[in-house]
Formats: sequence, C-alpha cells, structure tokens
Amino acid sequence: MAKVKVKYFGMLREMMGVREEEYEVEDATLADLLLKYIPENHKDVAEKWVETIFVTVRGEVAVNRNGMPIIKDHFILVGGRNPDINYRLRDGDEVAILPPVGGG
Amino acid sequence: MLRVKISEKLDDLNSLLNEIKGASDEIGAITIFVGAVRDLGKDGGKVLRLEYEAYEEMATKTLEKIISDLKSKYGIIDAIVEHKIGSASVGEDTVYVLVASKHREEGFKYIIELIERLKREVPIWKKEVTDKGSQWIENI
Repeated sequence: MAKVKVKYFGMLREMMGVREEEYEVEDATLADLLLKYIPENHKDVAEKWVETIFVTVRGEVAVNRNGMPIIKDHFILVGGRNPDINYRLRDGDEVAILPPVGGG
Repeated sequence: MLRVKISEKLDDLNSLLNEIKGASDEIGAITIFVGAVRDLGKDGGKVLRLEYEAYEEMATKTLEKIISDLKSKYGIIDAIVEHKIGSASVGEDTVYVLVASKHREEGFKYIIELIERLKREVPIWKKEVTDKGSQWIENI
C-alpha cells in the first residue's frame, strides 16, 4: 500500500473542487491513478476528467504503440519530475497535475 | 544576484531599479518590462479582475533556470523577475522584469525571450473574470 498526494491547479482545481488530496493505492502505476483511482473518487466529473487529461477517440482513451494512454496538453509531475505514464507509484509520492499554463 | 519572486505583492519598482543598478559599475543599460492588467477580456467583456495561481516551488525553480540560461546566452550582468499571484485589478502590475547589461541590445533580447519562455514554461495559471463570465487563459 502506498500513500500518494495529488495536487490540482487552475481549471483542474476548479473541476475537482479540491486543491490537493491523498490516495492509498495498491501496486499502482501513474496511469492507474489517473484512469481508475481519481475518476472513482470524483464520479460527478469522471467523464470530463478523462476527456480533459487524455486524448480520446469516440469516448475511449487513445493509446500509443506500447498500449499506454496518451496525455493531452497536460504535464504530470511526480516529485518534480515528468515520469512515464507506467511509472509505479511509491509511498510518499507527490503527483502534480498541471493544465496548460497561462502566466504573464 | 539573479533573483526571482512569485508573490501576492510585487516589490516597489523604484526599489528594484535601485537594487539592480547597484549590481556592477559595468552596467550601461537597465531594461524594464512591466506587465499590467488590461480592461478588455478575451471574451470581449470588461475585465473585473485576473486571478493568478502557481505551483510555487516549480514556478520558482523553472524561472530561476530560465533567467540563468538566458544570462549565459546573452551575457547580461544581472536580472530580477517578479510575478504576481492572487487577484489583480485593471491597471495593476503583474510582472516585473529588470535586466542590467553593458549595452541595450542584449537587454531587449533577454526580455523578449524571457517573457516568451515564462508564458510557455512556468507553471502559473490565470483566470480572467469579466462582466460576461470567466475563463482560464491558456498561452498555447
């Protein structure tokens, strides 16, 4: 079991209704967190969440040639680094989900 | 010195100018950029306010890397960058960039590239609230 902190920013923070939250995950990858744990915990916006974060085709999440889901316009950082979507989450990880930026 | 600040309150511009002027006797030009809130929104409405937020640790780190990269690229002497977060009204300053260099040319180039990179790379978000509604502004 690993405890991970998830941080949302900008329009994602507004959509999810929280700035940050914790998840307890069991042998999970970053893709599991984004496609399973988070939507299950936010059922009211689950569909919108998936369509915002991932490239979708007719409602289905598009995958690359390795079968991995394709992120759309967003940066996902774990501990300040940008890992693969199949990164295996560790206890204490901080996952930051960054929508397209708008500073200046 | 190369200093970055992301904060709800920007420092006084004159103080920043005096600070950077004192960085070296080799300085022959100080170039300044001020970003401010304009009154016309992207939706055509009248802007009531902008709301900025940042992933502060990452935004500071990213900006520090950018100002340092560009110092090497353009050979400037010193730079200060400040970016506001929180709520900003029409006319309020939101970004300060001050660059000290030997000559004006590298200062102008530095500022143009710095602002472009800031808008593309630094994790800061902006919500525009107008009399017609509100929207998150994306720089892409």
